[in-house]
Amino acid sequence: MSLEDIIAEARETILQCDQARAVAVAERAVAQGFDPVQVLSEGFSYGIRQMGDLFGRGEVFLPQLILSSEVMKSAVAILDAAIQGGTPQAKAKMVIATVEGDVHDIGKGIVVSLLKTQGIEVYDLGRDVPTVKIIEKALEVEADIIGTSALLTTTLMGQKKLEDELRKNGLRDRFKTMVGGAPATQRWADRIGADAYAEDAAEAVTKALALLGK
Amino acid sequence: MSDIFTRYGDGSPTRMSKEDIRFDLEEGTQDAADRGKIPALTEAELDRLFEICTMPEKAVTVERGDEVIVSFDAGTLKLPVRAGVPMDRSAAILTHERAFCSDTMELGHVDYSYKQLKAIIHEECQAMEHIQLNTIIPVFYGAMPNLGLYTKPDGPIENWSELLPLAKIDEAKAAQEEAMEHAVKDIVYVASRMYESGADGINFDTVGASGDADVLATLKAAEILKEKYPDIAIEFGMAGEFVLGMHGELYYDGTRLAGLYPHQQVKMAEKAGAAIFGAVINTNSSMSFAWNIARAVTFVKACTEAASIPVHVNVGMGVGAIPVTNTPPVDAVSRADKALVEIGKADGL
Repeated sequence: MSLEDIIAEARETILQCDQARAVAVAERAVAQGFDPVQVLSEGFSYGIRQMGDLFGRGEVFLPQLILSSEVMKSAVAILDAAIQGGTPQAKAKMVIATVEGDVHDIGKGIVVSLLKTQGIEVYDLGRDVPTVKIIEKALEVEADIIGTSALLTTTLMGQKKLEDELRKNGLRDRFKTMVGGAPATQRWADRIGADAYAEDAAEAVTKALALLGK
Repeated sequence: MSDIFTRYGDGSPTRMSKEDIRFDLEEGTQDAADRGKIPALTEAELDRLFEICTMPEKAVTVERGDEVIVSFDAGTLKLPVRAGVPMDRSAAILTHERAFCSDTMELGHVDYSYKQLKAIIHEECQAMEHIQLNTIIPVFYGAMPNLGLYTKPDGPIENWSELLPLAKIDEAKAAQEEAMEHAVKDIVYVASRMYESGADGINFDTVGASGDADVLATLKAAEILKEKYPDIAIEFGMAGEFVLGMHGELYYDGTRLAGLYPHQQVKMAEKAGAAIFGAVINTNSSMSFAWNIARAVTFVKACTEAASIPVHVNVGMGVGAIPVTNTPPVDAVSRADKALVEIGKADGL
């Protein structure tokens, strides 16, 4: 089987939520000596981003999206072991929260599920989280990225508050920051000085990986 | 200056060239057509939409004879709560009738969910009776089905939003099915009491906010109410442009609810006995007003063509091409209204 075939099948296993086949494809890729990073990024990860897009269009539903992320995790475990040669490697860490005063977290939950499929260690602090708690957790776990979500125009300022507090405490350079949520935009991210804005879960994955230099 | 003043979906003001506005109109209608699998706007419709977007007036309006009915959701929350005007709900409704010339109005409680209203239903009945004695316009009673309130810690059922990320899919589906049973009972109980207290209609607001189970519970409740009170007027206001598949395997009259777009949702509402359908098209805060309005009009046109009942398009903050801002700007609101009525053929707003 060629690398192209492996990549195509990897994508398919995610779209069809076929765990047994995903594991088999990952094992075959390793056995045939293909680059596991390429199989992961162009095959499985591409598939999960496609699932995210389809979910955003109402063409697949949340249970399928969750199932596909479980399938992805199984494949990632095999490919990760091959990438690291059996030596555990430090995972990238991300702290994520819905800002204070905002109780909406359906979208954030989906973002968390997809980020985890990429091998990112995600600390989900839930909803209505004060800025100080977000920063404390990020320091405690030595996070690489802090992500915040806000659904309301009235709570959007929580994302700015995080940037301000990080700067005030001399911590801004320690973390990359990402923002999302219905009223957030790239313009908003630029205005408050966030490192990235993501429109949906699939884009959140792409942007997070870009921030991590992957 | 050849550039046109316009806005982005988050309300930010900007100036765009006529070419860019036309380009965004074409992209917007195509996006709706792709997602909804519906026809894009015709060249003539895009030309008219372009005219509306580029009219020099700050505020625009429909041509004489094209005026439409307005109905409300969160009616009595607007002036006393959101605007902070110290008035009671009765005064808010009279202000709408006598100062704003509203065609209809909605009585609603700050705990705007059917579940919460059971405990205070006697007060709500009294408020409705009092208001009906003082008003001429039809007054609806409205609240949200809000299926999420039946989950822990607010209710007795496991929270599917917590179960799903743990991949406990069967448990999450069972929890949603259980919540539906509670919601149907509460909606029918509250709506019946309010209808018997004189409400001219019942409004289900943000149907589907908790996904497809939320929609199915509301459809079932509407069916029961329609059978109980054949003359009841039910308004069905949606939560989003497509039904979010939190469950994914729920069907109504043989049709899977998850993933339905407005032109398909309206048929479900009709079958259940709705008298008015409130179509929702989400505003994308990153895109231009031109892109958003072309998209909204495309969805609404398909919906009104499919509908046998009046379609009142939701045109509040963040929906129907209205920017996501607390006080939506009149230039965008009036253009959205005009386009949705004249091109989308909306029966009401």
